[in-house]
Amino acid sequence: MTDQQKGFWNLLANIPREVLYGILLIVFIVPLVYPLGLPVPISSEVRRWYQTIQDLPPGSTIMIDFGYSGGGEPELGPMAVAVYHEIFKRGDLKAVAMSTSIEGPLLWEKAMAEVRPEQYGAEYGVDYIHIGYIAGTETAMAAVGKDLRATTSTDYKGTSLDQYPIMDGLVGATSFDLLICYTTGGDQSEGWVRQWFTPYGVHYLCSVLAMMVPTMLPYQNAGQIVALTSGAQAGQMESLVRVPARGIKSADVITLTHILCIIYVIIANIGYLGARFSGGK
Amino acid sequence: MSALWKKTVPVVIVFVTALLVMMDYFVVMPPVNLDGVSWTSNTVRDLQNWGIILTAFTLGFGAVNLFYLHGRHISRRVPNQWMYSLWLLIVIVIFTTVGLSTGPSSDQYSFLYNSSYFALSATVYSSLGFYMTSGLYRALRVRNTESFIFFIIGIVILARNAPALAVYYPSLDALGAWIQNVLTTAPQRGIMIGAALGALSLGIRTMTGRETGFLGRLTEEERAGGRGGE
Repeated sequence: MTDQQKGFWNLLANIPREVLYGILLIVFIVPLVYPLGLPVPISSEVRRWYQTIQDLPPGSTIMIDFGYSGGGEPELGPMAVAVYHEIFKRGDLKAVAMSTSIEGPLLWEKAMAEVRPEQYGAEYGVDYIHIGYIAGTETAMAAVGKDLRATTSTDYKGTSLDQYPIMDGLVGATSFDLLICYTTGGDQSEGWVRQWFTPYGVHYLCSVLAMMVPTMLPYQNAGQIVALTSGAQAGQMESLVRVPARGIKSADVITLTHILCIIYVIIANIGYLGARFSGGK
Repeated sequence: MSALWKKTVPVVIVFVTALLVMMDYFVVMPPVNLDGVSWTSNTVRDLQNWGIILTAFTLGFGAVNLFYLHGRHISRRVPNQWMYSLWLLIVIVIFTTVGLSTGPSSDQYSFLYNSSYFALSATVYSSLGFYMTSGLYRALRVRNTESFIFFIIGIVILARNAPALAVYYPSLDALGAWIQNVLTTAPQRGIMIGAALGALSLGIRTMTGRETGFLGRLTEEERAGGRGGE
């Protein structure tokens, strides 16, 4: 084999990272600017998540933990927004949010600005509320589950909870029909299983970063989590609730970047094996 | 005397507290009131609320510690460090001032957060995608049988997680689900059970005073409970 051929294999096996990054950036930006409208399949997990909300009896109350940080917002935010759309669309559900992440209240406000609950006639303090950031992660979950009003007496703005009709009769975990957690932290996603599912049997839906899914799968397979999704599946939820937004847009990007990654891996292996069989390293 | 206050008393407090919390979690301890609430329930509720207050306090204490640590960097003009320390303290002061004066749910505070920390945080996290792609290109190479299996599984999961591909090749979903539910879950369960057993053992050692890390630095005598380092 000639040196020129060996050089070719080595080139394929050692593409400079600047080139890899450059192509990735182009593949990332193009579908954002010109959406391709690639099909988005609805996975069984997302369907189960959606169905769980649909099956709630009228008047049910949902606890929602905004347990993610700013870094995870682009992934988990669209999912939170899509689910809120569905909750408000139904019109007969109540949503109490809290945060086990210190940035949670700000990210919740951001989500609410996208959802615009007033378009569904939902009113703060009557149909939905945010009771603020509660420090202590798992201790906070346990305390809220045991006695919500003893743990916090105000909402995230500092207004007394007594002033809000939504809080009437809410005592602790037993007052809630469903728990939803969006989080970038394992402490939160696993903590809710230990502090709300195991002692009180509250049905639990969980949305985490895609890379956290393998860690959480055993809980779903054991039935402790009704449905586990990654934020990257937000486009699927948006399709189900028929409110296309950031998730659908990012679905095109996810498809193309994943295909690019597969191409990169195949090229790297062609180069590596070609160089190896031609006597190179 | 020193060992009594530095080790014995804290360990007794930890033992009693942990025992109460565990009793409340696992069993309903009589006497029980008319609502079916055990006597441990209210005690544990108060303990948990103390825990929340202490955690909130430590957040503030952390900020004080940052001032102390980075103030020292600035005063000593530590090379390649002091300007970042100064910048950190300026940002803390700005956020604290705006937060305290207008409230953490005010438009001003939200603007500050969204236009600085949020944007930077999302950018840093998103940049991981580039590193991961480069890492994937370099690491997923068929060097031996093990890496060949790794390669195949990597390709299947990548293809399965590309939404449009899963539409055109439905079998990818079933294959990916099997990999996740069987190949991933089985060892993950093992890891989790192992970690849980480790946590249990650490908890018992802490409750019985064999694990003294939470007590800070102790002398040999104090560690031995005042028995002269036995």
